[in-house]
Amino acid sequence: MKVEIITPEQQLALEEVSLVQLPGADGLFEILNDHAPLISALGKGKAKVVVAGETRNYNISGGVVEVLKNHVKVMTEVCSE
Amino acid sequence: MASVESTQKITSAMKMVSAAKLRRAQNTILKMRPYAGELSAILSHLLSSVADGEAHPLEEQRAPEKVVMVVVTSNKGLCGGFNNNVIKRTEQLLSTVYSSQMAQRQIRFIGIGKKAVEYLNRKKYPVMATYESILDHCTFHEAGEIAEMLMQMFTSKEIDKVELVYNKFKNAATQVLMNEAYLPLHFEQTQDAGSKMMNDFIFEPSREQLYRQLLPSITKLKFYQCLLESIAAEHGARMTAMHKATENASELTKQLNLTYNKLRQAAITNELIEMVSGAESLKNA
Repeated sequence: MKVEIITPEQQLALEEVSLVQLPGADGLFEILNDHAPLISALGKGKAKVVVAGETRNYNISGGVVEVLKNHVKVMTEVCSE
Repeated sequence: MASVESTQKITSAMKMVSAAKLRRAQNTILKMRPYAGELSAILSHLLSSVADGEAHPLEEQRAPEKVVMVVVTSNKGLCGGFNNNVIKRTEQLLSTVYSSQMAQRQIRFIGIGKKAVEYLNRKKYPVMATYESILDHCTFHEAGEIAEMLMQMFTSKEIDKVELVYNKFKNAATQVLMNEAYLPLHFEQTQDAGSKMMNDFIFEPSREQLYRQLLPSITKLKFYQCLLESIAAEHGARMTAMHKATENASELTKQLNLTYNKLRQAAITNELIEMVSGAESLKNA
């Protein structure tokens, strides 16, 4: 699946992602391939993205995530590695 | 003549610099667009489903007794009517829409950019806060802080309305002067075809809560967008102004050259006449 992290100042696109872990409003949750369409609020915390077996961590400041047809869009105000 | 030429060099260099800065400013706007687009798409879908709920504190419409005016200009001059237009529009608003608030001294100002600050101080208007350095390197974080302060004042009913006056960037040659109500928020109801598709989504938490959570984000974004627009517009205006100045200078050089050559020719002719008449008189003697 494809993951995009979108902030007002930059965009980051990751292809071939196998797993995304995001800080939801009520705790961490994971998104795998073929996840049902979802719109969820995000809290402040760490986002974990697994790309081709390699784990990447990002600090995000909270926002919202949209999942549709294996395309994950994370909208957040601040994102740093 | 030399001074005109050197001025021309300066203005054309400034034009080049503005063009480069304009490109950078435009890039920043372009980078922000995806975020703004996605966010407002989600928001408008949410909006159609929570329309019946009570208004969010940020949307509450109150009689505008206490108003904050945000005046956005540039730090530097030499950009044509850019700053003057903003100031003129502010004055116009003060004498029409907000005349009663002005008389009761219920209006306060936020100046963004050195020119706005100078203007507000000169007029001795009650200034709440001023920002100058933000324009040199505008980040979302800084813009967000100002927006947050305004939102907080609005929700605590310290102020009833926030009005923005700024230049909107249309293209490199045109800026559109804008004044719009920033708070309370106002959204157009859009019932687009996409909302059907959105019904299949799982919402976490509920739509209404999501909506409430997203509103501050979009409010901050709007402020950031205004600042970016104004910055791009400033560079565009300066580019046009400098282009005109360069053209003027080359026109002036042309004219000066002509005058100079005419004068030189006249001097030569004079000298020749003197010599010839001198020779003639010698011959006659």
